[in-house]
Amino acid sequence: MTLAVLFAEAHGDVQAKNPILPETKELIWGGIAFLIVFSLLAWKAWPAIRQALADREARIRADLERAEQAKAEAEGVLADYQRQLAEARNEAGRIIEEARQAADQVRRDLIARAEAEAAEMRRRAAEDIRLASERAMADLQSRVAELSIELAEKIVERSLDRETQMALIENYINQVGSASS
Amino acid sequence: MILGAFEFPPIDELFRWKDVLLDDTPVAINKTAILMLVSATIVVVLFVGGSRRRRLIPGRLQNLLEVTYEFIDRGIARDVIGPEGARYTPFLGSLFLFILFTNWWSVMPFIQFPPTSRFGVPLYLALQTWVIYWFVGFRHHGIRYLTGHIFPAGVPKPLYLLVTPIELVQLLIVRPFSLAVRLLANMMAGHILLAALALLTAYALQNAPVIALGPFLLNIGVMAFEILVGFLQAYIFTLLTAVYIGDSLHPAH
Repeated sequence: MTLAVLFAEAHGDVQAKNPILPETKELIWGGIAFLIVFSLLAWKAWPAIRQALADREARIRADLERAEQAKAEAEGVLADYQRQLAEARNEAGRIIEEARQAADQVRRDLIARAEAEAAEMRRRAAEDIRLASERAMADLQSRVAELSIELAEKIVERSLDRETQMALIENYINQVGSASS
Repeated sequence: MILGAFEFPPIDELFRWKDVLLDDTPVAINKTAILMLVSATIVVVLFVGGSRRRRLIPGRLQNLLEVTYEFIDRGIARDVIGPEGARYTPFLGSLFLFILFTNWWSVMPFIQFPPTSRFGVPLYLALQTWVIYWFVGFRHHGIRYLTGHIFPAGVPKPLYLLVTPIELVQLLIVRPFSLAVRLLANMMAGHILLAALALLTAYALQNAPVIALGPFLLNIGVMAFEILVGFLQAYIFTLLTAVYIGDSLHPAH
């Protein structure tokens, strides 16, 4: 009902004035309405919005700066790690080289000792062989002498006395021995 | 023809409203006044309420308010006036929003009437702009604001006969008058056009329903256009106000 009245078009009861001419009441209410908007917005809304924008700008700037700083820090740490890694690698290389040299030394020592031992063994073996062969030669000499005597005895049938025979044979074997050696 | 009997109602019926309160006083309240007060309330609720809870990551409403603020602050105040234009952002922003929200009643269903099509409203706003640019001019340049405008440097003395009256009339009358009339005429014309098309549609529906679709579709199209016009006129009014204030701060002459 009130709405109907509110928006009812004015018919005859408003005197026919040119619709383009300003009406005081509308000018006044326009001013009041605008001043309400201006005063409340200037008091409450615009500063708050400006502050929100400024806050965000400051926050974003701070974040960017912090990110930049963190990046620089990270780069520093990375360089540090890389340096340490390079050092560790050098150290490892050095240790390996040392170990290799030590191993080489050990190997050379072992070979030298083995060679020395082998030479010693060879020398001792040769000595043994020489002794054995000398002994065998002596055995052989005596054995040959005995056999020769036996043989000669059988041939001449005791024509010579034993002393003279032994001297004869000894002499012969010595000749044989010096001729064969 | 079919439309031969169509009669357009008296123009007063489209623009003049009964007083509903304080009848026949200088502060009588009618539809125009109520719509302006409702506009003011909407703008205040939207902007004061919306800016109350500030968040770092804005919601839709906060985003809208911030975009509006930047539009006025960067797009109008600082762009037109210069760095010191930021001081005028609150005024220019309030001006823009008030005009925008009163203009848009023209396409609001069941209301369909822009208070800015009543001369009193644009006249008040234009006079306000007029007072402000004179005040700013005199505050910053004293009497030289006026003399600099009406006796521009570099103009041959005899030409002052011609230039001085033109500049004076421009400063005193043309600027506020053109501001007020531009807004009034645009909103009034839009309102008449929409009313005519709506009445035509209604009349056609009763008498020749087949052709009712024509004015109906045209009406929809013009309504969409009126949304644009409402925005554009609010923008132009605010922009020119900023231009006049800027001219008072740094007179070009």
